[in-house]
Amino acid sequence: MSKLNATDIQGFVLRGYNMPYARYGFLHFENSARARDLIRRLLGIVTTGRSWDQGKPQSTVNVAFTYRGLVKLELPIATLISFPVEFQQGMKARGGILGDTGLNSHEHWDELWRNETQVHAWLAINALTTDALEARTGQLQELMQETGGARVLSYQDAAAIVEDGKVTLKEHFGFTDGFGNPDYLGVCRSTQPGQGKLMPDGSWAPLATGELLLGYADEAGELPVAPVPHILASNGTFMVYRKLHQNVGTFRRFLDTWAARYGAGDNFAREKLASKFIGRWRDGTPVESSPDKPDPAIAQDPNLSTNFTYGEDTAGTRCPIGAHIRRVHPRDAFGFKGRLINRRRITRRGLPYGPFASESDASPDLDTVERGVIFMALNASISRQFEFVQQQWVNYGNDAHLGNEKDLLMGNHAAGEKYVIQGDTNPANPPFVCAHLPNFVELRGGEYFFLPSITALGMMAMNLVDPR
Amino acid sequence: MSNQNGRVYGLTLLCPILNDVHASPSHDLQIRAYLAALPTGAESPFAIASGTHLARLVVMDDVIYVGAPAHEEHLHSKYLIFEANIDAIGDAGLDSYLTGLANLASQHLDAIWKHCTGYPGTSNLPDFLSYMKACRIETTFFFAATNDKSVPETLTALQTQRAMADFIVKHQGMAAAELQRRFIDFASKLSTAPVPPPAMATHRRDIQTGGRNE
Repeated sequence: MSKLNATDIQGFVLRGYNMPYARYGFLHFENSARARDLIRRLLGIVTTGRSWDQGKPQSTVNVAFTYRGLVKLELPIATLISFPVEFQQGMKARGGILGDTGLNSHEHWDELWRNETQVHAWLAINALTTDALEARTGQLQELMQETGGARVLSYQDAAAIVEDGKVTLKEHFGFTDGFGNPDYLGVCRSTQPGQGKLMPDGSWAPLATGELLLGYADEAGELPVAPVPHILASNGTFMVYRKLHQNVGTFRRFLDTWAARYGAGDNFAREKLASKFIGRWRDGTPVESSPDKPDPAIAQDPNLSTNFTYGEDTAGTRCPIGAHIRRVHPRDAFGFKGRLINRRRITRRGLPYGPFASESDASPDLDTVERGVIFMALNASISRQFEFVQQQWVNYGNDAHLGNEKDLLMGNHAAGEKYVIQGDTNPANPPFVCAHLPNFVELRGGEYFFLPSITALGMMAMNLVDPR
Repeated sequence: MSNQNGRVYGLTLLCPILNDVHASPSHDLQIRAYLAALPTGAESPFAIASGTHLARLVVMDDVIYVGAPAHEEHLHSKYLIFEANIDAIGDAGLDSYLTGLANLASQHLDAIWKHCTGYPGTSNLPDFLSYMKACRIETTFFFAATNDKSVPETLTALQTQRAMADFIVKHQGMAAAELQRRFIDFASKLSTAPVPPPAMATHRRDIQTGGRNE
């Protein structure tokens, strides 16, 4: 296929901006006409996928809408009812499917998300500096005031974790994050082996564009389910927004407790155990490629850091069968040369929020401090892609031949759950079972959004959406 | 014996549902209503009577026309479909399985199958067995929910797996001699443990089927 029209696609969809600061504003539309006016004013500001020949801008702006936001904008009813049912329902209503129960149920969410019907739009800023972030916030605030189109219900700030003065790709548990995003046909990006789909000859190829963008053929050769008219959907996508609180104290205590009984019980055993949870060492080295130690030569080489499969490790003696990255991106772990997973891939965006607690931080409230990760997933079909991964691979284990076991890191655990680390006869790599899994991650809220193309934004702004 | 896979029998029944225009609600809807409330745990008829690995009951209204160049066809009747993987070898095994169901779960069976054409009821056992076998189809290939192990063997294996995992959690890293002593003790207790009842698997899963999940 030919190159995509990058100027019609929001930049947030086509690339991770890799900027250290972000601010996500959640808007409530006061009035449809004034909200449309606001969108019209945003049109010239929204960052597109156009390449940055003159270098990175200081900041970016992107916008997405909830179903209720589209209702408030008075899109025609024939268009509204053509959106996929999970998007119409919203994330809260899908809680049963997602396993958002118990500690993760909406009674425990932030106030903003307990009143999620108020949220109409997501207005995101990414910035290189805090000055640029504030300047852009000011500009957008002004637009909202001038048009009277929306008010901000709440801002969510997020920022890359800085350690020893250096911006890192780490999250709060101390792991380097953000390796696994897929390549798609037509999306210009420096591709690396291991990020698309596995081909029969063992090479990697980009996934069909329709796994990410509406209006293009997907891996089944079909157009994704999309609203009418076609031009409203084309070049747009759906976004899942989830605020995931991280219980850093619980994670460290759990690691300490079990590491004391694992291998030699020393600090290296602790790091090795941590790597067996995730499937990567803290620096990002894939355990499958380097089971005995972190190896910066692998972690930092784009030709190696995502270039591995599990076919030679069906017993999980290198990377455990239930390791987080093996569950959520199983590659060829389910056999059939990886073909079972090509319609279940998601593109991840987002940054950590809250202060980083160094390993030496012994404060008693490591769990209660507001910190975690803003998880955003982009996909053409929320039900087929994100919801499937969350339901079947995170909160259930059957596909991985792990019965009822859930993902150690992300799972919403019940009493009595275990995590099995397959091992071998090497005393440094013993089989091991961790039990009494607590919830390391708790959901604080979120919603499903439609991230339209620039053309679609224009149609919405000018009230031109016509489903006939 | 294409319905047989080792010691497991793949039973598939297609039972025509009564077509009575005067029945209201219709017989197929009455079956649907009854099946919707059929217990799935220890009170399930398939847990009460022994020998079921998996059982499915489905109401099939018609076959769906999917367009050219397919030939448009319709069923002559609505059907109740019963599919099960059971511990049985040949017709004799099937007879004893169905007899167990008829003896222990007659109330459920009669409540469901009374809406089917020609169903004689469980009270007349020979007629019941002939009826069920008359509705049986040769599948040649059926969904096998289990390997070649009986239901009690499978339940015991699951019990052993869970107990073993708990044992490992409790004892991993223990000195070899002590570990061996405890393992011998554990293994002897386990070997005399009663077979757990069916449909009493692990704790409930908080998973709901998604309407549009494929």
